[in-house]
Amino acid sequence: MASAPPPDAGPGVPAVEMHGISKRFGDVVAVDGVDLQIGDGEFFALLGPSGCGKTTTLRMIAGLDIPSEGRLAIFGEEVASWPPDRRPVNTVFQAYALFPHMTVEQNIAFGLQMRGIRGPDADRQVAEATALVQLEGMEHRRPSQLSGGQQQRVALARALVNHPKVLLLDEPLGALDLKLRQEMQVELKALQREVGITFVFVTHDQEEALAMSDRVGVMSDGRLLQIGTPAEVYEHPANRFVADFIGRTNLLEGVTESPSAVRLDAGAVVAAANELAAGAPVALSVRPEQVRLHRRGETPQGAPCLDGVITDATYLGHAFVYTVAISPTAGASGTSAGEQAATITARSETGSAALAAGEPVSVSWSPAATTVVAD
Amino acid sequence: MPNEHRASRDEAPQVMSTLGTAGTKRSARRLLKANAWFVFAFLYVPIVVLVIFSFNDSERVNVWQGLSARWYGEALGNTQVISALRVSLIVAISSTIVSTVLGTAVALALDRYRFKGRRALDGTVYLPIVIPDITMAVMLLVFFAEAFKLIDTFGPRLTLGVTTVALGHIAFNISFVAVVVRARLDQFDRTLEEAARDLYATPWRTFRRVTLPLIAPGIAAGALLALTLSLDDVVISAFTAGPGATTLPVYVFSTIRQGVTPELNAISTLMLAASVTLVVASLALQRPRSTTP
Repeated sequence: MASAPPPDAGPGVPAVEMHGISKRFGDVVAVDGVDLQIGDGEFFALLGPSGCGKTTTLRMIAGLDIPSEGRLAIFGEEVASWPPDRRPVNTVFQAYALFPHMTVEQNIAFGLQMRGIRGPDADRQVAEATALVQLEGMEHRRPSQLSGGQQQRVALARALVNHPKVLLLDEPLGALDLKLRQEMQVELKALQREVGITFVFVTHDQEEALAMSDRVGVMSDGRLLQIGTPAEVYEHPANRFVADFIGRTNLLEGVTESPSAVRLDAGAVVAAANELAAGAPVALSVRPEQVRLHRRGETPQGAPCLDGVITDATYLGHAFVYTVAISPTAGASGTSAGEQAATITARSETGSAALAAGEPVSVSWSPAATTVVAD
Repeated sequence: MPNEHRASRDEAPQVMSTLGTAGTKRSARRLLKANAWFVFAFLYVPIVVLVIFSFNDSERVNVWQGLSARWYGEALGNTQVISALRVSLIVAISSTIVSTVLGTAVALALDRYRFKGRRALDGTVYLPIVIPDITMAVMLLVFFAEAFKLIDTFGPRLTLGVTTVALGHIAFNISFVAVVVRARLDQFDRTLEEAARDLYATPWRTFRRVTLPLIAPGIAAGALLALTLSLDDVVISAFTAGPGATTLPVYVFSTIRQGVTPELNAISTLMLAASVTLVVASLALQRPRSTTP
């Protein structure tokens, strides 16, 4: 699934290409053998928990960190050893890093000046960039006189005015409050479509990554675990970490029994396609919204099914979230079935009949909606 | 007097915290106010007296005879004073320029780079601030004597003079400038430099356009401190000076043995005016500017 072609990737050279990129700081391996291709015009998110190496990866593209190993090309040009000022990329920094001693206008004009673009041509481009991020009238203010959202726009304009081949964004929305963040998500996405520049952005917020990007690269411990569209990584996580990190999921422990079945520790043998040898320890990932609850005895035919008892029911307005403790099944022959009772989280629309805590239920799901993940 | 002053300062907060009623609070506040006035008086009355008596139209310092600027004329007409002032200015300006550049470079190196001997430099660069003036003066004198002996074997006949005084001032001023600039660098956000590099600025232009303007207040403050210390110094100047290299403070110090004259009051007042002007100028410089950088 990592080989699925990016939807927006053109037929030409990739905007960013990494082969075996590693970065070590002393004994610490920050980035470990990353292979990555980002297509021209793509909105790509590097997603992972803090300390996973995503920011270092971004900084290597910017030239602020030099890879210890590997090849790095931007539009076909090997740039691994180039200094940042020679690279056709610009960065929106996490805390914006606006120059406090310059006005908004001077901040935006900085990159143009450094490339020797001055006079009316520069003025026109600065005005265009200012208009692009809707900061007209703020030109002569200092960064300290702006709100967080406005500062963010200055940082964007300061980068975009240079028409970089790739725009790098390091947690661009991290410093904003929730409401503004959601607004900026939409705006940033629209802006990217408008300017048509390849955006590579780093975030630890999986919702943000899924909402904004064409493709997502999930990182952990310096390694790139999975690359795919938001739907791919959400519906078919490559491993346990991705399944757990992207959205909420139920991970049911078990071992593979055949290419089409998994024996769960809870007892039941359920249908689940996998490409692993029989006997491999795995987890079955079932998203809460894919879990269906039935009253005992009303179980559908043909679907994997477990019995349990509701231990918690939470009303969320648009949905109910139920926690179901799975009862060990007697049908688990030979194995010490379900020593530790698993719990399953289920989510259902409020339209359906409400169930109460303590009610015995059966849970089922469609085999196609699950993914078998190994470590 | 100083003891009295310290005691009252220590007592005031205690009064504030132990007694909480409005009345005692008011009296505590009055006490604090009185203390503040006392400190001001302690600091500034001698200065005011000096300035007033510098305008005294009398041969004797302690007898008031009426307002006059005659001693200013006298001082400015005194060729020894003028030549000492010239030496002072040459030494102060040259040592300030050199020590500001070197001190800033030291601060930047210590802040930015991990190099061999960094810890040793870090530990010793501030030594001139703590070692006594007299030790520093003797050290420099011995150093110059030995250095001259060595250099003289190749021909030139070097002697103490304005240059050695300036070198002595540079030796201690570097430390002060480094301390002040480094304090400023501590607050400096390095991602600003990364942003500049990312926006096509070379390392040098990053320094010129981003780093330097942002640490400039620190450098200006360091330079001002260096200038003031240099204009003020007596001990090191006296030890490292040769004939014709008498600075103004050294001149004042040597003439005071014949008693304080109204002329000295006038000179001191002029020096005071100069330092106040410098401080005000530096404060104006350090204020964030509202127009173009």
